[in-house]
Amino acid sequence: MNQQLIEQYVSGKMSEAEAEAFEMFCLENPEFARQVEVEQRLKAGLAQVARGSTSEFVRSGNQNWWKLALAAGVLLFVTMGALLWQRTAAVHPNLLAAVANDTDRNGPSMRLALVRGADTTPQLPAGLVRVEIAGLFEPGHEYSVVLDRLSRQSTETIAAVYGQRPSSSVTLEVLLYGDQLAPGAYALHVLKNDSREEPLDFEFVKP
Amino acid sequence: MDFVPGGELTRRIREGDVSAESELIRQFEPGLRVLLRRRTGGDVGLLQDLVQETLLVVIQRLRGDGIDDPAKIAAFAAQTARNLAIASLRKTERQRTDVDTEATDRNADPAPSVVAITEDLEAALAVRALLRELPQPRDRLMLKRFYLEDHDKEIICREMQLSEAAFNQALSRARKRFRQILEERGFTRRDLLSSGL
Repeated sequence: MNQQLIEQYVSGKMSEAEAEAFEMFCLENPEFARQVEVEQRLKAGLAQVARGSTSEFVRSGNQNWWKLALAAGVLLFVTMGALLWQRTAAVHPNLLAAVANDTDRNGPSMRLALVRGADTTPQLPAGLVRVEIAGLFEPGHEYSVVLDRLSRQSTETIAAVYGQRPSSSVTLEVLLYGDQLAPGAYALHVLKNDSREEPLDFEFVKP
Repeated sequence: MDFVPGGELTRRIREGDVSAESELIRQFEPGLRVLLRRRTGGDVGLLQDLVQETLLVVIQRLRGDGIDDPAKIAAFAAQTARNLAIASLRKTERQRTDVDTEATDRNADPAPSVVAITEDLEAALAVRALLRELPQPRDRLMLKRFYLEDHDKEIICREMQLSEAAFNQALSRARKRFRQILEERGFTRRDLLSSGL
């Protein structure tokens, strides 16, 4: 099976009989199936991004576009002022990451736990912070961790990591690049994958 | 092929060997995800439900009556998945036609399921990261034209003044990087072994 067949299958250009034969091959060859799934997800992801805006496909491709964007950025900065800029959380794809090794455990940390009646909200230290989330977790199962920025008007999801496995039955750890967060209130939500269980919600503050 | 399901495996599953069930899940889950993704119209919550349901049906069958020809487990799994997808589609269609649409509109929950939101976000985040990283704007436009607009390679190559080799190379690089991003973020480490099957 070659890439051309994968492209034909994913773009729906196979007959039903051909597609069924292709699917049988996938069932018998899991690594090949993973390759096909990446192609399916790439197409789906591109479609989703394009639904929002097609600008991401032409970004930086046109020098005039950049000049325009730069001018708009400067204008926005001047008019909105530094205060608003500081209040705006930086949207960064790598705000959250998995704890990969012991080195990650040597830096600053913050523990989040559901404590009934607690009247203080944890404060996020500076730097790359290991967030230790306390709860009841199923070892071996995967969880998603979603970071929201909280404001009076709205809640905005700014980062997420998926497929996280707890380090023990009572702890799940992630890394949070705290310096990239604007000061304000945030919440981490922990969702058990493939489950309808309610998420665990933890609030904290970036001073 | 990583593993050939056969008489030995079915015997172990019938005898209650959990590790044999795990082997079966590892073998079939990726293929079932491919098969069902095509039939669930982007509803990834439904996709995950149907994958699990299919595996459950296959395992229950092997625990009980078994399958006459063990070499046909893959075919049985594929047909089960297709049947479940059709049943699910019919159910959705019934719900669309039988309900009191006014009442539905009044009480509609605007948010799709958590699972669906999560999965869409995964692919979109990885694509955004990929688009940011691609050094050539030409590569981004190429992806758009190939995957979203379904243009033929030949046409894209001609209009973008690319050789087919350069086109394939750029496409292959993009795919590889997309997969890496998914893996780095843990998006592809799926494991149903502990899902209660």
